[in-house]
Amino acid sequence: MATLLGSEKLSFFELTESQKTILFDIRLPRVLLGACVGASLAVAGASLQSLLRNPLAEPYLLGVSNGAALGTMLAFVFFSQFEYARPVCSILGAGLATFAVFQMAQSRAGMNVERLVLSGVIVTTFLSSIIVLLTSLLDAAKLRSFTFWLLGDLSQATSSGFYLTLVVAITGTIILSSQARALNLMMIGERDAFDFGVEISKVRLIVFATASALVGISVAASGSVGYVGLIVPHLIRLIVGSDNRLVVPFSAIAGAIFVVLADTVARVAIAPRELPVGAITALIGAPLFIYLLRK
Amino acid sequence: MKTREISDDLGRKIRIPKKIERAVSLAPNLTESIFAVGAGDRLVGVTSFCNYPADAQKIQKVGDTLSPNMETIIALKPNIVFVSTASQIETFTKTLENQNIAVYVTNPKNLDGVLSNLKQLGDILGTSAQAENLISDLQKRITAVENKVKGKSQTKVFVQISKEPLFTIGKESFLTEIIERAGGVSVTKNVETAYPKLSKETALALNPEAIILSDSDDNKEPNEVFKNSPALQNDRVFKINADLLSRPAPRIIDALERIAKDLHPESFE
Repeated sequence: MATLLGSEKLSFFELTESQKTILFDIRLPRVLLGACVGASLAVAGASLQSLLRNPLAEPYLLGVSNGAALGTMLAFVFFSQFEYARPVCSILGAGLATFAVFQMAQSRAGMNVERLVLSGVIVTTFLSSIIVLLTSLLDAAKLRSFTFWLLGDLSQATSSGFYLTLVVAITGTIILSSQARALNLMMIGERDAFDFGVEISKVRLIVFATASALVGISVAASGSVGYVGLIVPHLIRLIVGSDNRLVVPFSAIAGAIFVVLADTVARVAIAPRELPVGAITALIGAPLFIYLLRK
Repeated sequence: MKTREISDDLGRKIRIPKKIERAVSLAPNLTESIFAVGAGDRLVGVTSFCNYPADAQKIQKVGDTLSPNMETIIALKPNIVFVSTASQIETFTKTLENQNIAVYVTNPKNLDGVLSNLKQLGDILGTSAQAENLISDLQKRITAVENKVKGKSQTKVFVQISKEPLFTIGKESFLTEIIERAGGVSVTKNVETAYPKLSKETALALNPEAIILSDSDDNKEPNEVFKNSPALQNDRVFKINADLLSRPAPRIIDALERIAKDLHPESFE
């Protein structure tokens, strides 16, 4: 559907050579990349929420996206000659940020919701300040591409980047779906889960690592696209209930649809100019989230 | 001190000393213009972007165009501060005027604007004769270019400001006019704003006959969407120094000559 809309009008019955290029080389990769990014972020959000028993656990709010963004920036500044430095550093950054938030949220009394959200805010603002510092040090031309990218930008879709994102998105979704039963039990309480034979620390490690990889790969591909990991799983839970065996895969599908729709708006709204997709997802996401909170 | 009243490009009335001894420039195009009208020796402060002419680099830096350091500027005791509309003037105009420092805003939007700006600068800084000579020299060079490309078919030009994301020039950029005077036509001349981020599909359908790259680190080659365009097939991709293209100052005439030569080499043989 989204491939039908764009700044250039296409007729689907007779395509000229350049219209074919537009459809297959530009629009389709972008729509598919948007779908991968949306699925990755939604699945990461859904599983973090269950693992941490916290409805506010979202890659963007927890600082995981910012960790990935900082990793990507550092890769761009120091290792720009390596094609895969961006995704690798992005995943590392996401992983480190997750680890930091989790460590800060732990206390002798265990982990509580307020502590976790607070740690997320601290890590997010701390990483943001480093990003701002770095952008001030970069020269003006690089700054422009970064500000756009930070807000979420799918226009830089390339086929090599796309395949990598696709592989990670699918693998990550499968891994997290396989942990769905354990996550269900952990939602009840870690003690109960332990009694049911769930290896808590192993599940935790798998979920954190996979979610970091999913967020990292998405940010490397498209910058910070906010709110996807928050509102998509919540919407899905309203529809299918809280069983993670359904929530995780359905979040993947709904996340993909949400980002593709938001990016279609970003592409078409002021064509031939473009908006950053992250601005659209936040614009839809924030009010929708307030609505969900009040329900 | 004897003073007089003048009005700047925004129509603001400002009172300045008849003889300006100390001036600060907050934009690289203004620094270049002030040197060009022969008043570079009056500059006591410039921005960190002001890299031309070489003498400008020896002048005290007062920060960059968007975030000049007020304390440094005030400490330099200038009579006047020249700013372009690109700077965020509202925030600091009051601070400076409270210190009896005049703020002169310039906003050259096209070639004629660049020339009249030079005239104003010469008038304010007391180098009118030199400014007039420069203007008539530049005017001659513009006319020479226009005569050479007169009657030539207009080349369809895409100006690429950055490769990823794809930024170009739009309706409000002065480069749209420069391209036209150089015997071309900007294929994005109807796109809103001065420097829009352009949809790649639109870019692909533009089929430019020539591509001008604003030469900077992240803009060394045309975006992939142009790989089948006539510009690439006929090897008509031209790099021009980003400073020449981005600053409405006398060197914009150098850019005009370069572009005209690139687009219509046969006219310059």
